[in-house]
Amino acid sequence: MQRIYVHPLPVRIWHLINAIGFIAMLLTGAQIRYIGLIDLMSFRSAVSVHNWIGFVLIGNYFIWLLFYLFTDKIRVYHPELSPTKHFKASFRQLQYYGYGIFKGSPNPHQVSAYDKFNPMQSMMYQVVMFLLVPLLAVTGILLWDVQGFYGAVDFFGGVRVVDTVHVLLFIFFAFFIFFHVYMGSLGHPPTAHYKAMFVTGYEEVEEQPGHGKAANT
Amino acid sequence: MARSRRVNTMSMAAFHKCLLIAAFAAFLALFPARFMAANAAPADSLSDGDKQCLGCHGFDGLKKELAGGKLLSLHVPADGFAKSVHGIIGCASCHADVDLKTHSQKPKTIASSREYSIAMAKICGGCHAEALKQNETSVHATLLASGNPSAPVCTDCHGSHAVSPKTAYDTCVGCHLAAMEAHQKWLPNAGLHLEVVSCAACHAPSAQRMVDLRLYDGVGKKWVAEKQGRPEFENMARAADTDGNGLDAMELRKLMGQINHDEAVQPKNLRGRIELRTGVEAHQLSGKSKAIKDCTSCHQQGAEPFQSVMVSVVSADGKPVRYRAQKEVLGSVLSVDSLREFYAVGGTRNVLLDGLLILAVLAGLAVPIGHQILKRIVKRQLEREAQQSAAAKPKDRDHA
Repeated sequence: MQRIYVHPLPVRIWHLINAIGFIAMLLTGAQIRYIGLIDLMSFRSAVSVHNWIGFVLIGNYFIWLLFYLFTDKIRVYHPELSPTKHFKASFRQLQYYGYGIFKGSPNPHQVSAYDKFNPMQSMMYQVVMFLLVPLLAVTGILLWDVQGFYGAVDFFGGVRVVDTVHVLLFIFFAFFIFFHVYMGSLGHPPTAHYKAMFVTGYEEVEEQPGHGKAANT
Repeated sequence: MARSRRVNTMSMAAFHKCLLIAAFAAFLALFPARFMAANAAPADSLSDGDKQCLGCHGFDGLKKELAGGKLLSLHVPADGFAKSVHGIIGCASCHADVDLKTHSQKPKTIASSREYSIAMAKICGGCHAEALKQNETSVHATLLASGNPSAPVCTDCHGSHAVSPKTAYDTCVGCHLAAMEAHQKWLPNAGLHLEVVSCAACHAPSAQRMVDLRLYDGVGKKWVAEKQGRPEFENMARAADTDGNGLDAMELRKLMGQINHDEAVQPKNLRGRIELRTGVEAHQLSGKSKAIKDCTSCHQQGAEPFQSVMVSVVSADGKPVRYRAQKEVLGSVLSVDSLREFYAVGGTRNVLLDGLLILAVLAGLAVPIGHQILKRIVKRQLEREAQQSAAAKPKDRDHA
């Protein structure tokens, strides 16, 4: 077994705040939208908590952004410029999750400090971090003060359009949080990735013949 | 006794002005009717009797000296009165006690402007009995009964001659100057709330509310008003409502398309406001202790204000022209564009998005459940293959 430091401290802090914040945002967002069906807290409290945590998460986003902008770790987000290569690798990864993982096959993606995402993670996290999270934040800020940002709200097609985009993203992240938490449990043992991401920063990988590194999700 | 002497005063300058304008009016009367129609002032629509009253009361300088030397303006803006909702009923409907034969010799006795306004409220009740009844229990009437000199009576809100229905925020803040600051202390997005929720919608808590989707000119930054003599909105809405049961989301889209069809450079949108279903109920205004503060009165699916929806435009005379829409338009996916400027979080949810959320959560749960099921199937298959393989090996050995 080999220990590789793949989650630096700023990334772990960002991820921890993000994890707690997103769960709180999903719950308070659901409370705001479904008051009467869900009664965790009052509408007013839900709006207030949602707004405050929203701003904390926007600030937190910049921890992530500045860390990657000012360190060479940005390489983990470099896109694969060959679509053929990317989709072949993604297909291999899908085969692994759909069959190979059950019979103990090695993970086709080899984790390293500068290449910690498998091809599917790489594409998904780029879409999430560079498109969906900023869009969620911008639409959230516009809805926070519709009157103050009237010009921008109007530019995007009106408050109903902005809200619809915000809710569509809420729906996506409601799915994503289940998916993300489950995928994180596919380490060996199941708590391995949680421990690495939240506590130690180190992933333990098996050395493989010909690679020197081992499987990871 | 000298203090109680009442004198009608009209300065010489005002009198000359009176004569000049009368002469000018006579001059205009000589012009052909077509020319007059094109330049008709609202006051021309008044009856001859009203014009007779305005012959004197139409001049700005007409004043009456009250007890204590205070001056009461007796000026009635002719156009303002003619355009008001009372323009059609005429002066005598409210001032029936005035006898034109003796009016100039025996003018009315008025102790003070305030007392006269209070007395005239009873006259208002002659036609607006229900409004006056609703007002009896209001915070305004309670203050008046307690002798509060600032308590408003009918004319303080509605005007004395340029009378109009009042739902505008501006009317209330005429007295309640600190309303915005007071709401900002506890109400999130207070400015937006005061813009899209009429004061009475919260301060008349037992009244029934509705959504008034009013046509707004986003380019001109003003409410769209119908042109004089061309009331088209209701006809267009009626034509769009093919089944006659109120506009549904598709019909509303069609209507908005038609409204913006001729003026593509001036897109007009519907801006929603929470109003009372009947203006009469607005008179039961309560104090802040009884006003609605519960957010879920609106921000909840099925909330009472969203049970009644009207589409409206301001008519040429300033009154709203309304046409009924179905309440489902507020949550329809087809309304994303046609109702782009009205959305109440929690209250006007898009039903399609609710379905998508259920699917997303089910899909989120299906991933771990499905993957674990797949794991068992694959493992069972692998075990079976291993057993078959193990069973095959002894046979191979036997053959060997």
